[in-house]
Amino acid sequence: MDTTTQPTTTQPSAIEKVFAFVDERVGLKTLQAKMLNEPVPGGSRWAYVFGSVLLFIFIMQAVTGILLMFYYVPTADHAYASTQYIIHTVDYGWFLLSYHFWGSTAMVVCVFAHMSQVFLWGAYKKPRELIWLVGLALFGIVMGFGFTGYLLPWDQRAYWATTVGVEIMDKTPLLGDFMARFLKGGATPGQMTLSRFFVIHVMVLPAALMGLAGLHLFLFRKAGPAGPFRGSVEEIKAKTDYFFPRQIWKDIVGMVAVFLCICSLAFWEPIVLLEEATPDPGDYHPEPEWYFLFLFQLLRLKVFAGEFGQFLGAIALPGAFMALLAALPFIDRDPERNIFKRPIALISWIVVMASILIFTVAAIINREFLE
Amino acid sequence: MTGRETMSSFKLGLSILWAACWTALPIKMAFAMLFMAMGTIHLETKLGITFLMLLMSPVSVFAFFLITLVTGFHFGEGAGLPLLFLVSIPIDMWSLGLVARTVFLERLRLEPPDSLGVGLWVRFALAGALYLPLLWVIESGATDLARSITKSILDLDMLKALPVAERIGLEFTAWGSVSLLVLLALTYIGLTILGKLVEGKTAGAQPASDTYQALIWRWDMFRVPTDQSLMLTAFTGAGAVMSVLFWMVLPVSTPHPHECCKPAAVTVAPPFDPQKSLTKGEKAFKDAEVKIAALEQKTAEEEKEKPKGGKDKAGVKDGAAKGDSKTPPPAAVKPAGSK
Amino acid sequence: MQPKLKSKVRCTDGEVGEVSRVIMDPLSHDISHIVVGGGSGAGPERQVPMGQVQGVTEDVVSLRLSLAEYATLPAFNRDEYVTTHEVEIAHLEERIHVTPGEVLVPFPELERSVKRRTFFANFTHAIGFLIGFPLAFPVLRYLMKPMYSPFDNEWLKIGNSGKIKQDDVGVQFKYKRKVKEAYMPEQEIDKNVWVLKATPKVLETIYQGKDMEFRDSFGKHIWTNKKDVPYIAFSGKCPHLGCGFKWRTHKTLGQVFLCPCHLSIYDAAGKVLDGPAPRPLDPLPIKVTATGDITIIDMEFKAGTKAQVRIV
Repeated sequence: MDTTTQPTTTQPSAIEKVFAFVDERVGLKTLQAKMLNEPVPGGSRWAYVFGSVLLFIFIMQAVTGILLMFYYVPTADHAYASTQYIIHTVDYGWFLLSYHFWGSTAMVVCVFAHMSQVFLWGAYKKPRELIWLVGLALFGIVMGFGFTGYLLPWDQRAYWATTVGVEIMDKTPLLGDFMARFLKGGATPGQMTLSRFFVIHVMVLPAALMGLAGLHLFLFRKAGPAGPFRGSVEEIKAKTDYFFPRQIWKDIVGMVAVFLCICSLAFWEPIVLLEEATPDPGDYHPEPEWYFLFLFQLLRLKVFAGEFGQFLGAIALPGAFMALLAALPFIDRDPERNIFKRPIALISWIVVMASILIFTVAAIINREFLE
Repeated sequence: MTGRETMSSFKLGLSILWAACWTALPIKMAFAMLFMAMGTIHLETKLGITFLMLLMSPVSVFAFFLITLVTGFHFGEGAGLPLLFLVSIPIDMWSLGLVARTVFLERLRLEPPDSLGVGLWVRFALAGALYLPLLWVIESGATDLARSITKSILDLDMLKALPVAERIGLEFTAWGSVSLLVLLALTYIGLTILGKLVEGKTAGAQPASDTYQALIWRWDMFRVPTDQSLMLTAFTGAGAVMSVLFWMVLPVSTPHPHECCKPAAVTVAPPFDPQKSLTKGEKAFKDAEVKIAALEQKTAEEEKEKPKGGKDKAGVKDGAAKGDSKTPPPAAVKPAGSK
Repeated sequence: MQPKLKSKVRCTDGEVGEVSRVIMDPLSHDISHIVVGGGSGAGPERQVPMGQVQGVTEDVVSLRLSLAEYATLPAFNRDEYVTTHEVEIAHLEERIHVTPGEVLVPFPELERSVKRRTFFANFTHAIGFLIGFPLAFPVLRYLMKPMYSPFDNEWLKIGNSGKIKQDDVGVQFKYKRKVKEAYMPEQEIDKNVWVLKATPKVLETIYQGKDMEFRDSFGKHIWTNKKDVPYIAFSGKCPHLGCGFKWRTHKTLGQVFLCPCHLSIYDAAGKVLDGPAPRPLDPLPIKVTATGDITIIDMEFKAGTKAQVRIV
């Protein structure tokens, strides 16, 4: 071989050699292409960012949660003190705890946004029914996170919101007593309750979330993004871009926006605990966290008074609504995805969102009327 | 080939204002947070409405202050607020330009005229200055009216028996829906006006002759900066600086301590005063001298009174007196030595 | 049938080449075009939309175009496309079958016995089941341990009846109860009961002519409150949601038990006069000695239910 006639080529750099080494064994180039070069029909959209933002929030919650666990002790005699220790003594502990607290609010807001976006875009219809069902399970898990985490500081607000919540669950016929005793770890809330809520919050739910979120993503990739609900084939084709970098760019801008919102809230509205939990509520009026307020207010209506009424309002009605959502892809078989051509869907969404808003605001107004 | 989209004035106004407001927001928020952290903005309870005003700054930049003038509504305190709106002017001009050019190319198939952003900003800001205070007055009037009417309806005898929770829900829904409908109607009118202002610019514009794909390519490329390294460095640099500022500003311990754990009141140790300790030392010296003199006098008197038996005692006393006389000098040395 | 790569392409009046490539539409997952190349005359590769394909066999794709019409089709531009290895298109391999023939791998001899496969498969399932199954019962008992603890029926001295000056008037007695939860250090929690010295009329309302029996969850008898003993002790927790209630003078109902949380109102006999309470106040087992010392068994009942269910 006459090397003098060959064109001069630059030697691969060290980084390129490492990359080639891994690529030979892992198929990195193909993997990268497959993961990142997913065409998003109709182009990347800001409306699509909520799923990725939710993943981001979960990771931040996991990180701040693990950091909190360095100091928090889940026993009834130390929970309050250790939480106060984090807030008052540990450097920036107040900020990290407040971040974790506001992060949970952000998660619920984004869950509602994500579910609304999927619903309005008709992206639960064939062939995406399974993604929708797994998503509903994830929604339940997020609510579970909020409910179990709320108890951990063991102050009056935490203790009584949880007590009321579990008592409501008790109203379910047949299984109610067993479920309530299981969660409480006995007949009355105490140390056993705290231990159980801690395990559920820190191990059971995260494991479930990671598993189901992985499944959710896998199913989403298998079905492909649904894309916009209107536009000619030519328009959609002309605007199509890849997941990376365009959609990822929008996703990360969304993530940073949410990150900054949570940081700002943590900075300007940090967590302040009430007094330590006591078996007697005293003057304190129990209230759940804000995303359960609408249910709380619903249960104040006279139509839901009494034992069976409470079960109806708290368990049966929400349960029926969730069952309806689960059945949605099987009931609504019309392939039309344009929300402006689905009047029932549009009006239902508006009514549901408006009702939740009205009841939440009513619950806040009602605080003035409690003796 | 997809043809030119016929857009109503309302749709035109909406598509430009909505996109322009959200595009400009991240940059405005960065400044807002900076000003808030510097303590130049204090909002108390008006955070929501002020944020909305900032979001809409292409139309509210003047209206924000006019509303305070006309209605007396107080958004907040601090020099940061007018500064924030001042800073938003170039940002909004850029944002409006970007978004309007996109709409012109993609949906109207027209070549965007020069300085579209500045031109539109002027029109939007002035229109907003006139329309927004009007909208504010009408909306708050309608809301107040709706609230008082629903309150008086619910005060009727036949509805007195309505329980609290139902009453609250009904009342809020009743006046809330009226208020919302009025707001939607006013917004629709406002956006239509904006659309008409944009149409003033479309009238003289040339049709764009490229294919659809080429038009998409063009507006997409608007969003890629010409000098990427400069943009990247500037952005990352600004971000890093803001982060460091944040670390400096972030209190180590919670700004709202609980009753249980208030930090102990810090007692400042009084600083060392050389003058004071010198005079103190001198005084101690003088006191000691007086004491010694008195003691010596006493022993001398006692010696005179008991010449025989007093020798041992005198010896003891002398020793004691001598011992006393030893202590003042070290005390006198101290103030001179210590600084 | 989908056109196969390398199959010949024929126009109505002659052959033009072979299928060199196939283009797939990412939205519909169908083949949108074939690329024809390698024909005689060495013309450029041309892109033929599937609409122009008349018929497809294993070896031949016939177009409904003449040679002349074919020559007017756009030339194929490789730069406008990427291979399927460079993008992620869902369901690609399942929908596109354009390779002629099959790619085969040998089927192991041992795996050909169906009996063998089913035996090992079923036994694997059985063992998998048996790995988890033995744990199920112990785990369930483990989790349920604290859920149904037996009751402590100790008599607690709460005070002396000398404190009660009037009949049919509620008097609060505060006491401390020692509670030990699991491994936690023993705690003393503050509790209270409302005791009243009842007149025969009030006693009648409460007892309804029968002695009040208290039994544990197995039905074993604990204590009986005799209906002629004039002292009644009501549990200090409101049956609505467990708040502590008070004895107050109401503007229209007179002297009553009033719960501040949700305004449940009870008369001296514990009967519900107003508010959301689902049942009357809960009487507790009570013993009064000759010297007037009052002892009770501290019990707690589930709040919010019509039936009285003991929980502590």
